[in-house]
Amino acid sequence: MQRRSAIKNLMIIAGGIAILPSCAKDKEKGKASIQLNNLNIDAEQEKLLAEVSEAFIPTTDTPGAKALNLHLFVLKMVDDCHDKTDQEGFVAGLSELEKLSEKRFDKSFVNCSVKERGEILKDIENSKNPSGKVFQFYKIAKDRTIQGYLNSKYVMTELIPYELVPGRYNGYFPVKKS
Amino acid sequence: MSNLNIDSVKQRTFDAIVIGSGISGGWAAKELTEKGLKTLVLERGRDVKHVVDYPTTNMYPYEFEHRGELPIDVQKANPVANRCYAFKEDSAHFFVKDAEHPYIQENPFDWIRGYQVGGKSLLWARQTQRWSDFDFEGPARDGFAVDWPIRYKDIALWYSYVEKFAGIAGDKDGLSHLPDGEFLPGYPLNAVEDYFKKKVLDKYGNRHIISARCAHLSKPEPVHHQQGRAQCQNRRLCQRGCPFGGYFSSNSSTLPWAERTGNLTLRPFSVVESVIYDEQKGKATGVRVIDTNTKEVIEYYAKIIFVNASALNTNLLLLNSTSSRFPNGLGNDNGLMGKYVAFHNYSARISAEYEGLQEFTTDGRNPAGGGYIPRFRNVLKQETDFLRGYAAGLSGFRTLERDLSGQGPQLKENLLNPFLGPWHISSHMMGETIPKESNYVSLDSTQKDTWGMPLLKVSVVYDENDHKMSKDFVDQLTEMFTIAGFSNIQAQTNTRVPGNDIHEMGGVRMGHDPKTSLLNKWNQLHACKNVFVTDGACMTSTASQNPSLTYMALTARAVDYAVKQVNNGQL
Repeated sequence: MQRRSAIKNLMIIAGGIAILPSCAKDKEKGKASIQLNNLNIDAEQEKLLAEVSEAFIPTTDTPGAKALNLHLFVLKMVDDCHDKTDQEGFVAGLSELEKLSEKRFDKSFVNCSVKERGEILKDIENSKNPSGKVFQFYKIAKDRTIQGYLNSKYVMTELIPYELVPGRYNGYFPVKKS
Repeated sequence: MSNLNIDSVKQRTFDAIVIGSGISGGWAAKELTEKGLKTLVLERGRDVKHVVDYPTTNMYPYEFEHRGELPIDVQKANPVANRCYAFKEDSAHFFVKDAEHPYIQENPFDWIRGYQVGGKSLLWARQTQRWSDFDFEGPARDGFAVDWPIRYKDIALWYSYVEKFAGIAGDKDGLSHLPDGEFLPGYPLNAVEDYFKKKVLDKYGNRHIISARCAHLSKPEPVHHQQGRAQCQNRRLCQRGCPFGGYFSSNSSTLPWAERTGNLTLRPFSVVESVIYDEQKGKATGVRVIDTNTKEVIEYYAKIIFVNASALNTNLLLLNSTSSRFPNGLGNDNGLMGKYVAFHNYSARISAEYEGLQEFTTDGRNPAGGGYIPRFRNVLKQETDFLRGYAAGLSGFRTLERDLSGQGPQLKENLLNPFLGPWHISSHMMGETIPKESNYVSLDSTQKDTWGMPLLKVSVVYDENDHKMSKDFVDQLTEMFTIAGFSNIQAQTNTRVPGNDIHEMGGVRMGHDPKTSLLNKWNQLHACKNVFVTDGACMTSTASQNPSLTYMALTARAVDYAVKQVNNGQL
């Protein structure tokens, strides 16, 4: 019983689902906060990704990416559901993003202002090199952040409620004129 | 000691044995037990109890670790299962994993299987249409396979019988080539499907789009409440198993019904190795079962045996049931068992958009999936350069679209305020294929599975007729979409290999003549009359309708005949 609740307390809730944390020892060595089987991501990189996700979906009057742990959802998905090429591109692209930040603003992405972060990301999105590693990272991180957000418990219960049991179908539902 | 043995044999003796608990086995169990026969149902997989064993059924999307997606290592380890549209995080536990049950593909063939109580009846797409005489008379008219030994009049009442119990939603459409049934209210077409229906009918006169007929309780009758089932709640999460029993499955309907008679014994984890043939008696006396957990071999005995192991496994089991009387498989005197396997041609699909009807969208979900286009090619007479024809599914919907560009508060705002896109319309073909001797299954002479059963070799391919039909589907649907003013029409061909339709049929076909068929008009093996085959293996031809309803009707009909024969001492 006690052991069960201890394990439960150790769970991290990302977008509404529980994810196993990595063990405390790893944390000391600067490992990622969740258990990853294929990705080699350290605590610094995890922090960087959290800021990237937050830049995509910031906290406003409603919770943003960091509050919903969407960066951990991104890591979980890349770790489990992407192939090796994607995983390597993701990790390499994350480092390149940091280099871009250093080059442009002479500081780490995490120390950039919201405006500066936005400029870096906008440049990548509009880049002419969609096969580059940084773009590969950007695409995966953005798609998975958006997926995690729209499919989070918060959004699906508070903002755009998901109906498990609709109990109806209307094929001529009138569209409200806006 | 000898008394003990006698007791043991007694305990292993039933009036009837049913091999398999899927859609047709469930029906055999219901009919046999209701008619008072002590019946043993053997299922090779685990038990799946209605509701109790549907672990994902009430989960919200955010409760799935990967939001419905399967981890890439699972996908890569299961290339066959992974090509099935329903193999996802919420339903993967109902699919056979590739490595656990190998088979040999002499040509690419996706053999999609569900080894558990209820079989694939938990996972099916629930489309249910009757055949007509345009289908039963197909082989005779067009000169392929052999003549069906039955006609529509032989099965019409049995269609009614199973429809009333299973619960089929549909409209009375008055089409001679797609007979009406005993329907619960149909699910109406939506705005764009209805619009398309009118446009197509105006132009062609003989091409119809009807509400898809499906095994959902749109408005349950007392008989459905008696089964413990309730009205379909439009969840469209059917592949998880339905807590309402809103759609028909063995688990929600026939098996609990059979259990309530007190005549049912259900034994999961039981692979049937072979049917036992007794040369003195000139009939089958029982089956040899391998317990999948202990690998113990146990014999069970009965007066009659129904083989409902799923089309290809029924072939495997009968081919493996050898004796000195039947060295090539039970009832296989003519050597045709395993041959003339056919399927449905699902090799093409087409999609388009429509900018009109912006004033409407859909609300809730349609369990029927949308519309159905009954076969319109070569119905009354041969009119194309290919034989037979195709039916097609049709569905229209409006997606919620979002501007995903940029980042920051604007992106967040855009994500939370989706807008309606144009109507999307898509259609997939379901073509009749011509059974041929060269499309067959057989047993590998050396390789065996974990339980010592020979591996099945599958050699089934598309032919020129299929390719022509696929092209015609694309041409005709393109024309129909164009007439309706649809835009951005995009066709995809060669999308699915044989088997991926999950409508494999034949190998133990029905016919008049023991020289050219294996089963008679009552689904009895010509050469071993107390063995009945009423799953997909019995099919002489495939028509273009979804086959499950016909399996149900053939099963109920065959049980009725079998029990009469038992009662008057013939079996």
